[in-house]
Amino acid sequence: MGIVTRWIRRYVTVYGIIMLCTFLMCLLFNPAAELPVVTFFGRIMMFALIALLSLSVYSSRDELTVKAWWVRTLLHLLLLEAVLLPLAHFWGFWQGGRDILIYALFILLAKALWHLVDYSLNARTAAQINERIRKKRLERRTGEE
Amino acid sequence: MRVSIEQIDRQGEEELIVRCHDPGAAWVEIVREAASGLQTVCCWQEDMLRRLKLSDVFYFEVVDERSFVYTQTEVFEAKEKLYEFEGLCAGSALFRCSKSMILNAEKIDYVRPSLSGWFEAVLSNGEKVVVSRKYVADLKRMLGVQG
Repeated sequence: MGIVTRWIRRYVTVYGIIMLCTFLMCLLFNPAAELPVVTFFGRIMMFALIALLSLSVYSSRDELTVKAWWVRTLLHLLLLEAVLLPLAHFWGFWQGGRDILIYALFILLAKALWHLVDYSLNARTAAQINERIRKKRLERRTGEE
Repeated sequence: MRVSIEQIDRQGEEELIVRCHDPGAAWVEIVREAASGLQTVCCWQEDMLRRLKLSDVFYFEVVDERSFVYTQTEVFEAKEKLYEFEGLCAGSALFRCSKSMILNAEKIDYVRPSLSGWFEAVLSNGEKVVVSRKYVADLKRMLGVQG
């Protein structure tokens, strides 16, 4: 898969996760909310772009150790909260003290969902590889017999 | 299937090229095993020079600029750099699995994902090594996994 395709796929995934979180947030805390379609979708697209760019926190010339990965994950979360919360406030997505807490929690939820999606994709890849290894082993055993 | 054999002069490097539809096909594996069985790597163990078949190698690893060769139960030291091993292993079942390691795909028992995006490969001797996400595509290609 090309690097461009990979990043487009990531962007779509991030966008989908943000939309899902927004839906849940509105459903739970403001079901009567009315949103201007074009502005709202445009802002969500901007959120997704920022979230995607912030993934550069993970870029490294060396492979990350487990500890380094956790440190960067924490940094990434702080960066997302530091950038998205003021922006969301500027766009009027939250106002009061309770809202900021809910919003911060949903950013955390979105990040957890991102890692869950990523893990599921890797689990699928691992299953494909294991299936192929199993088949090859079976072929070899049959060949030997 | 057509088989072509071309005789070359002594100065030329011997080479085996396999043109196939499925790189993971059984016959390709047989050719790969035969080729890696013929290839050897020289390494040291307590001042004794040993010649190992590539097919017996589990993985190569570079630690603090020193190269090590791991077999099922033993560890040897080698003079080659990782890129030299990579050249030596081209076309065999050995592939680059991380920045400092070349792994023999034939020795993988199974792989499992980790939360941090790595894959952990459990080898047939029970040892666990890390396969970086960057190199998983190479493993998939080598095994003939689609997608």
